[in-house]
Amino acid sequence: MGLDLSQFDRFKVTFQKGDQIFCEYEPGDAFYLIQEGRVQIVKIIGEIEKMIDILHPGEIFGEMAILEEAPRSASAIALDKVEVLEFNKKNFEILMRGNPQIAMKLLMTFIKRIYDQKRRFMILTLQDPQARVADVFLMLSETQTILQQNETKITDDVVIDATLEDISHWCGLSVAECRQVMAYFTAQRKIETLNNKFLVKNLNDLQRLVNSRRKKD
Amino acid sequence: MPQAIKYKAKSIIYFEGDVSDKVFILQSGKVSLISTDIDTGMQNRELVKTGEFFGVKSSLGKFPREETADVLVDSVVLVFGVLEFEKLIYANPRITLQMLKVFSNQLRRIHRQVENLLATEEQVNPEKGLFGIGEYYFKAQKFKPALYALRRYLTYYPAGVHQARATEYLVSIEKCPPGKTPAVSPAHFAKGFEGGSSASADAAAYFNGVTLFSAEKYEEAISSFKQYVSANPEAEYAVKALSEIGKAFYSLKKYDECIKHFSTMIQKYSKHAEVGEFLLYLGMSCNAKGDKAKAEGFFNKVIQIAEEGSETKRKAKKELKELGGR
Repeated sequence: MGLDLSQFDRFKVTFQKGDQIFCEYEPGDAFYLIQEGRVQIVKIIGEIEKMIDILHPGEIFGEMAILEEAPRSASAIALDKVEVLEFNKKNFEILMRGNPQIAMKLLMTFIKRIYDQKRRFMILTLQDPQARVADVFLMLSETQTILQQNETKITDDVVIDATLEDISHWCGLSVAECRQVMAYFTAQRKIETLNNKFLVKNLNDLQRLVNSRRKKD
Repeated sequence: MPQAIKYKAKSIIYFEGDVSDKVFILQSGKVSLISTDIDTGMQNRELVKTGEFFGVKSSLGKFPREETADVLVDSVVLVFGVLEFEKLIYANPRITLQMLKVFSNQLRRIHRQVENLLATEEQVNPEKGLFGIGEYYFKAQKFKPALYALRRYLTYYPAGVHQARATEYLVSIEKCPPGKTPAVSPAHFAKGFEGGSSASADAAAYFNGVTLFSAEKYEEAISSFKQYVSANPEAEYAVKALSEIGKAFYSLKKYDECIKHFSTMIQKYSKHAEVGEFLLYLGMSCNAKGDKAKAEGFFNKVIQIAEEGSETKRKAKKELKELGGR
């Protein structure tokens, strides 16, 4: 990320591949900036271990622990040999003074996480299963095309990298329910199912469906 | 340079849905932020305090404004471009810290709302939650994360509600030689101990030791471990039991005994994988007795021999750092 972090070498911690960095529900008092390797974020939901995210060098995780020592909301596991900088309340001030770029990065991380959660919340407030699944596709298309500024090409086919399990995770419906909705969308020629991908024929269509079902009262 | 802009009462600074890269500070006057509640569709109004920022998230995150900024009385507002805002942040860590606090609260709140909608059962308390994670991985036969979660559980909740079961799971994983699968069914496991043969009675002694240790009953733990070692002096687990005895001495603040115990162990088991941990306790005991020079020597030795990134090495580094008072 082009930042000089050598002054923070004393905060460096190494984890071997497969090591647990922290565990869901464990009290958290540190957050991490990845320098090398990938970190997997997982959560046990119901009886299933769910992969939430894979984080790469330059990314921050465990950031909720900076200001309050609340329990971790997910587990972090080293996917490779991972080098991180570990910060806690004590050395956080040093970090802020010594490297405002990281502070800015942290701010951006929060902004993104808040936005993602809000977006997720919007999906979950929809009562109609079809609208929920449709909104998941809209969300995924937003994140996958976030860099494109204008929406002029919105009627084109959009390829979404996701599995049925992912869709189920995002919309809070069971895989079986999602499969049913997807069968309907396929029959309607709104969405085609490819190998671990979905082809959305017309995003506007889905958008209209979601808009019509969103609470207005 | 940020610009000071005057807004008349009843004007709008921006509308919900607008896209812009401007960040604002209210210098004087009264501005209200009107947002639509995602869940109920109702309108929320929130007053901006003088000196407070608004429009930060949407401009930095490059997404549409989430609220409408409504000017209630004639007001003066400082307007920053994103670059100017970054400069301000770089120069004022305090502002960043405050902003992080606000964002962290917002994130927690929205997180909780999402959880509430998803939750099929009521909120789990952290103690039950942590044990549940350990149990989940144990039953799924993913022993590495299971070990981690169960050990953490016993560290944080040594006298917790699930302490006995956590210990039971833990021992059944730890007892298992590498390459083999531990008995996953707790019932099956318990039966092994009740078998009546002398071997299982001894195993029970080890099991008891771990339980007593995590309940901070160190004296009793020591006698349990001693019982196990004397019955199985050659067992692979004897070393582990011995090491637990040393740790119990340390917890009892019997530093001389701890030093004597681990020194003997190091002579006898100089090639053992956990030798770094023995040295760590030697160092910690010396430190507790005030012999900082000796302690430093031990910690340095641990750092030299312990595996890169291991818990032992981290602890040694931490101890050494605290010694140096840095």
